[in-house]
Amino acid sequence: MAVDNVSFSIYEGETLGLMGPNGAGKTTLVNLVTGKYLADSGHIHFLGQDITRMAPYKRCKLGISRTYQIPRPFPELTALMSVVVSALYGKDRENQSLEDAATDATHYLEFCGLFSKRNVLCKDLTLYELRGLELARALATTPKLVFVDEVMAGLNPTEAGKAVNLLERAKEEFGVTILWIEHVMAALMKAAQRVVVLHYGKKIAEGLPQDIANDPVVIECYLGSCHV
Amino acid sequence: MELEVKREKLVLRLGKQKYEWHIEPRYWRNPLTYVGILVILPVLAYFFYPTILPTLIDANLLAAIAIPLGWMTLGTGRMNFGPQFYIGAGGYAAALCSIHLGWGPAITLIVAIAVGLFFGLLMSPLTIVAGGLYYTLLTLLFPLVFLEITFIYTDIFKGDVGLFGIAPMVNVGSFTVNQLLICFMALFIMLIYMFIVDKILRSKFATALAAINDDEEVAEAMGVNVRKMKIISFTIPAVMIAIIGWFYSHYYGTFSGITYLPLSFMLKILMVNMIGGRVQIYGNVVGGYFIAFLELILIQLLGDYSPVVFYIILLILLLTLPEGLFGLYRKRHYREYLPTLHVRR
Repeated sequence: MAVDNVSFSIYEGETLGLMGPNGAGKTTLVNLVTGKYLADSGHIHFLGQDITRMAPYKRCKLGISRTYQIPRPFPELTALMSVVVSALYGKDRENQSLEDAATDATHYLEFCGLFSKRNVLCKDLTLYELRGLELARALATTPKLVFVDEVMAGLNPTEAGKAVNLLERAKEEFGVTILWIEHVMAALMKAAQRVVVLHYGKKIAEGLPQDIANDPVVIECYLGSCHV
Repeated sequence: MELEVKREKLVLRLGKQKYEWHIEPRYWRNPLTYVGILVILPVLAYFFYPTILPTLIDANLLAAIAIPLGWMTLGTGRMNFGPQFYIGAGGYAAALCSIHLGWGPAITLIVAIAVGLFFGLLMSPLTIVAGGLYYTLLTLLFPLVFLEITFIYTDIFKGDVGLFGIAPMVNVGSFTVNQLLICFMALFIMLIYMFIVDKILRSKFATALAAINDDEEVAEAMGVNVRKMKIISFTIPAVMIAIIGWFYSHYYGTFSGITYLPLSFMLKILMVNMIGGRVQIYGNVVGGYFIAFLELILIQLLGDYSPVVFYIILLILLLTLPEGLFGLYRKRHYREYLPTLHVRR
């Protein structure tokens, strides 16, 4: 079972880190909350509403958005049009024209430092730019909760640093709550208020970053010989 | 009289008179110019070479099938290999109503639309449950099953002989004038389709379609109601294609499944789509005319060998121009994928 009996809460305005070795079920958990997969049992509540069986696009309109571990751009759309899709459909807005959405989208592209790339096809963007585009696309849906899936994967230290700063600024400027999946513990230790650790689909620890860093079960899981 | 192109000017000298016109590239991109040419073509054909009127009708109808098919392909993110099923549905519905109930084209049009809508809605869930190759194979199968049904129920569909005695589209007494009027009607339908689909592809609706075409899972995660979009993008084009079936039925006065339902007709439509460029509305018109005239020229030059050479030429074109004729234009304007919106600082 990819995710088994995992229960946790995330509070408005916080950054919750989600950690775990490869195959721990982190991305599966995101897929369950965003609606890609439906849970066999249990419940998912968002802002007091049960969203367990809700379609993914409805969850998005409620305020749940995500980025992907391996960027999944719309390859044949320009960067601008990719973000326009989110701006148009991410939330029901009355009388919103394509031009209004484009104006919104340019704002998010500018925020992510991609304004100069607005007319470039997504398939021609670099990995770092794609990470920025993913975030712009997620923010354009005006979310309340953003799932950030391994934003530092494949980036060099400078780019990774920029990506982390971008996330912090996004949180400040748009007031979003972030659930951040990450392998790099150092990044989470700095940015997250709380951390949840998964292993083989089960939650093995939850708490403050410094407590998690010293948790013997977590250390064992990362260094080996951990049995859940 | 002397005509020359000089410094982006077209210069005409008539005796001592000199006329100059600036050649502005932006004028060449105005669709109205091409619409004007398409309107003039049948008139010229009527006066100078009436035998090509049927080819012009064919070209317009092929383009009119390919245009909604392009929308369907974009909006469902899947390639439908059986658009001719809806031609059969619309055509047979119109033919049967006309023969058995004595209805004219105006009433049978409503029937064809209703039948197209019914089958479109009935089959639209396929776009949700079947993906990739399975969808393609299923859509490929439907027209062939329909063809078999026309042979099994010969008393209704008259098998390969087909239904005849269908009320003509127009009848003014002269065959050539009839052809000219029908050519204008085919052109009108094609232009209406072009206008509708062009408007859709420039609207905000198209951004969702383009997103679905690229990655429907991500599109849904970004708030697009993928199922609704797919059903709309499947059903309405199906109705539009069924109307072409109605047109064929009343244009020829006979309707036989063996003409439209086999793979050869489907290949022709797909070639229009491919040659013109996938989801390129104007490209489909170019593709329609290209295929219709290529077929005509090959029949006149090669006779019985023309079908073989026709498909060999198309295969070569597909290999050399994978993105169709519009691909040549795209190479120079690579951002011009639909939908496109430019923002300048």
